[in-house]
Amino acid sequence: MVDYLWIVIALPLGAALFNHFLGRRVGEPRAAVPAILSVAGAFVYAALAARDFFVSERASEEAVTVVRLFDWIPGLGATAELLWDPMAAVMTLVVTGVGALIHIYAVGYMHGDPRFGRFFTYLNLFIASMLILVLANNFALLFVGWELVGLCSYLLISFWYTRPSAAAAGKKAFVVNRIGDFGFMVALMVIFAAFGTLSYTEVLHEPGEVIGAGAATAVCLLLLVGAAGKSAQLPLYVWLPDAMEGPTPVSALIHAATMVTAGVYMVARTGALFGLSDVAGGAAATVGALTALLAATIAVAQRDIKRVLAYSTISQLGYMFMAVGVAGYTAGLFHLVTHAVFKALLFLGAGSVIHAMAGEQNMDRMGGLRRKMPITHLTMLVATLSIAGIPPLAGFWSKDEILAVLFAKGGYYTVLWGAGLLTALLTAFYMARQYFLVFGGEARWGEGAEPHESPRIMTVPLLVLGVLTVLIGFVNTPFRLSFEHFLAPAFEGVGLLHAPEDGFLLTALALVSTAAGVVGIAIAYLVYHHASEDTRERLLGRVRRPLMTWEHGYWVDEVYGRLIVKPGLALANWSAGFVDQRVIDGLVNGIGGAVRRAGGRLRPLQSGFVRSYGALLALGAVALVAWIAARGL
Amino acid sequence: MIDVSYLSAAPEMMLVLGAVAVLMVDVFAKPPPRVHGWITAAAYLAAGASIVLQWQRLGAGGGGLSFGGALVLDPWAAAVRAVLLVVAVLGTLCAWEMLAGLGRRMAEGVSLVLVATAGFMLMGASVDLVMVFIALEIGSIALYVLAGIVRSSPAGDEAAMKYFLLGAFASAIFIYGGALAYAGTGATNLFDIERFLNDYLVARPAVILIGMALLVVGMGFKVTAAPFHSWAPDVYQGAPAGVVGFMAAAAKVGGFAALVHILFIGFARYQGAWSDGLAVIAALSVVLGTLLAIGQSDVRRMLAYSGVAHAGFLLTGMTAGAPAADGLLFYLATYSVMLVGAFAAVTAVSGPAGAGSSFDEYRGLGRRSPVAAAVLALTMIAMSGMPLTTGFIGKFQMFASAWDGGYEWLVIVGLAASVAAFFFYLRLVVLMYFRPGEENGRDPDAPLPLPVTIRWVLLFSAAVTLVFGIYPGPLLGLLTRV
Repeated sequence: MVDYLWIVIALPLGAALFNHFLGRRVGEPRAAVPAILSVAGAFVYAALAARDFFVSERASEEAVTVVRLFDWIPGLGATAELLWDPMAAVMTLVVTGVGALIHIYAVGYMHGDPRFGRFFTYLNLFIASMLILVLANNFALLFVGWELVGLCSYLLISFWYTRPSAAAAGKKAFVVNRIGDFGFMVALMVIFAAFGTLSYTEVLHEPGEVIGAGAATAVCLLLLVGAAGKSAQLPLYVWLPDAMEGPTPVSALIHAATMVTAGVYMVARTGALFGLSDVAGGAAATVGALTALLAATIAVAQRDIKRVLAYSTISQLGYMFMAVGVAGYTAGLFHLVTHAVFKALLFLGAGSVIHAMAGEQNMDRMGGLRRKMPITHLTMLVATLSIAGIPPLAGFWSKDEILAVLFAKGGYYTVLWGAGLLTALLTAFYMARQYFLVFGGEARWGEGAEPHESPRIMTVPLLVLGVLTVLIGFVNTPFRLSFEHFLAPAFEGVGLLHAPEDGFLLTALALVSTAAGVVGIAIAYLVYHHASEDTRERLLGRVRRPLMTWEHGYWVDEVYGRLIVKPGLALANWSAGFVDQRVIDGLVNGIGGAVRRAGGRLRPLQSGFVRSYGALLALGAVALVAWIAARGL
Repeated sequence: MIDVSYLSAAPEMMLVLGAVAVLMVDVFAKPPPRVHGWITAAAYLAAGASIVLQWQRLGAGGGGLSFGGALVLDPWAAAVRAVLLVVAVLGTLCAWEMLAGLGRRMAEGVSLVLVATAGFMLMGASVDLVMVFIALEIGSIALYVLAGIVRSSPAGDEAAMKYFLLGAFASAIFIYGGALAYAGTGATNLFDIERFLNDYLVARPAVILIGMALLVVGMGFKVTAAPFHSWAPDVYQGAPAGVVGFMAAAAKVGGFAALVHILFIGFARYQGAWSDGLAVIAALSVVLGTLLAIGQSDVRRMLAYSGVAHAGFLLTGMTAGAPAADGLLFYLATYSVMLVGAFAAVTAVSGPAGAGSSFDEYRGLGRRSPVAAAVLALTMIAMSGMPLTTGFIGKFQMFASAWDGGYEWLVIVGLAASVAAFFFYLRLVVLMYFRPGEENGRDPDAPLPLPVTIRWVLLFSAAVTLVFGIYPGPLLGLLTRV
């Protein structure tokens, strides 16, 4: 089973190729069939291959398998190798499982789009790339996956490229990610210089014996830059809200459930390196906490249903960074899994609403959809309660574990715990606000809108995800830490931080965070549901100024525009105008001219006369004989 | 000691039998072209089967010297034969239209291709200087005739004449080198020479060294290393289009195969002297080949000079001695396939028997024949050494060998030349895709007819170049057994 692991990647890749060449010919609904089957097939295959990990008697070393495919570039020491361990299995199952549901959903959502086949081509290519990323056993292959998912993300954000805003958003995502990739690439070079290899097996096996704390800090901070770009953390998060220009299934799959968690995965994967550097871990946790809090405040004031969820994703990714920053890798990955499920559900629900409202995304023009869309309403409610941290839903268990881990670390990290708690309250508030604005109260939509429940092909994935949102949290409760045991072999030799085992402390922490969630929901209920229109206006009027700041996301885009983009453009124009045209072109033309002239000088050598060729041959022979004889004697 | 293992010469025998059969059948039956095709195919199949048997024998621990120590059956010899067989099959397909167009003289042409292949295969198996010379002449004389086989073409006559005269000159130098080596060591067998040089301290090695240098010159001529390259542009330009790819690739593979045996076995003791000499020739070939290629206005001449540069890259790797052997073979195999592919496209453009092919004829080829243009573009990109093609991997290995061998300066020269080489390789690509077709009377967008044989060569060449460029593992693995 494991020996043929490449099948998992080959299936979606094959479907992507199929749709690339034949997608248009096979037509609308049928193009989706190979796409869905390939991803579902990859899920089944991965699940079967992961079967062994559930047998607890297996020694932990056996749970890590390296599948060697072929020597890729032997001279550079890069081998195409896949790593199959519990962490890779978890990521693969999330990517293919959630991916398959979103593929099914997309059949309904993309109905009638002229580039239906092309959409599934990109989506499948994304799945294959993401699987390369999570299954790679060396940094070179990781980087290949890393860049490919970036490419797919870019293609899918600007899928509706005729809209100028979509094209601009794609460009922004591309440019911001280049900054992160730059850090990542430098990190890879430093790793190669220090270890002489890019293989996980060698780099991550007791790296402390090869590099010191200083070098480890440098490597980890550079990796963190890359992770911050891909996972939309401070200060590189600005591309994700704009990425919502892409079709909603894309937002759910790439910009919520899978690709944006690549940074978290990478930090967890390189836990052995982060373990050498307290500074880098602290930086990751601090960045995560700041991002979580900042994005949560921005989400409070958004009007666009998808932008709320985008900032919420950034905020939740911040939680994951907090967890992996303090070496709470299982807590971070646990939240990654639950978040993938409930955030995908939230996005798909939002997509269902947008679908029903014929493209309307402004929550001010929704309301009262509860009765019109019962299934969407019910599943969204479950997901909202889950992300708000209400027990016993998935989000409660995973968020609670992160907060407990932070609290257990103590010291400075207690401050971060406080930030996390405040974020939890804000999260509950803005999610409840969204719920009440969309589903509660009276209908505020205009004339002509006829909201209706989405077709079954869209609601069935919602229901499946809804059930998962209820159940998946139970894989790792303080009563039974199955997920943690499952992952243990992947963190052999890595100092893992666990949640405290003191029952009283745990209960107290859980109560506090649940209380934060309840308070947040209560405030939202009072302001957005209970209060009359006038009272609400009056209440919000009092906090107009901060709300304005939040609505505009602290004007970060404007600040970046003024501070970075504008001078950058000026610099670019200068380089294009002066440096490139005058200096570089001058140099190139100069060299080219010189080379041509040299070539021209040499042409008389080639007169076409046999006698001169013969003379050249003889002279060459004499010269060589003289040279060799002189060297050898 | 006199051990005759027919298996160690079986592929050549099959090819020569095929050549004889073609001539005999032609004399008695005057058959249509396709009968010659069947016989040739049978000869290639039999030769291929013999090579497989040779591999099996080697795998079972067999092999070794035979025919009185003149031939060796070692992995190098078997692998060189396999490469040459591929080149010959592709070359025959590419030349088929030209050969079929010879009418009554078709059998001559076909048998010459078979004999030339047999000769160059023998070069890779010979470990006796006399045998190397005989093999060299078998292959070369067949090529001289092939260059001028189209009688109506004055350019072909000129090419054949030049190739013959200069080739005779180079052969004379080679055999003189062999004579001097014999004078110095008392042996023509390379293993005997090696033993002599190891056993005795030669007080005055001048005679041996001069002999060795002259042997290098003789082979340098065959592989178009500068300054022994001057025949190549004229011959490639004048010879009938269909046969040039075969001519260029087979001579290069055969020449390097023999040079490797001569230097790595016979004169291993003098590696210090010959690797310096090779380094100088390599640098000269790379620089001259690149500079001269830039100024060309004819695709075939450009390819000839690029071939000079590629001989330089191969010699760059050779400076490292025996460790470079498997890399050399990879380079030779993949470069030959690119070369035949490129000349297949040239054949499509200038007609099967045509001479010359100016750059202007390639304007707008992207529209006239998408397949030919795409493959030609791919081979140009591969020859320039871009990653994800076999060209990159081959060049990378050559540079790595030379670097490890202590010839850093040579690597730097090679890298600089590679950068400059983009200029002429990509110029052709730009012409094909971004310049409109010429407007002298004929429709610039008229589709170019692409015979099915040429199409196969093009597709095979592109597939090899791309697949093993992205995924070199299997081919490297196969060839590193050498």
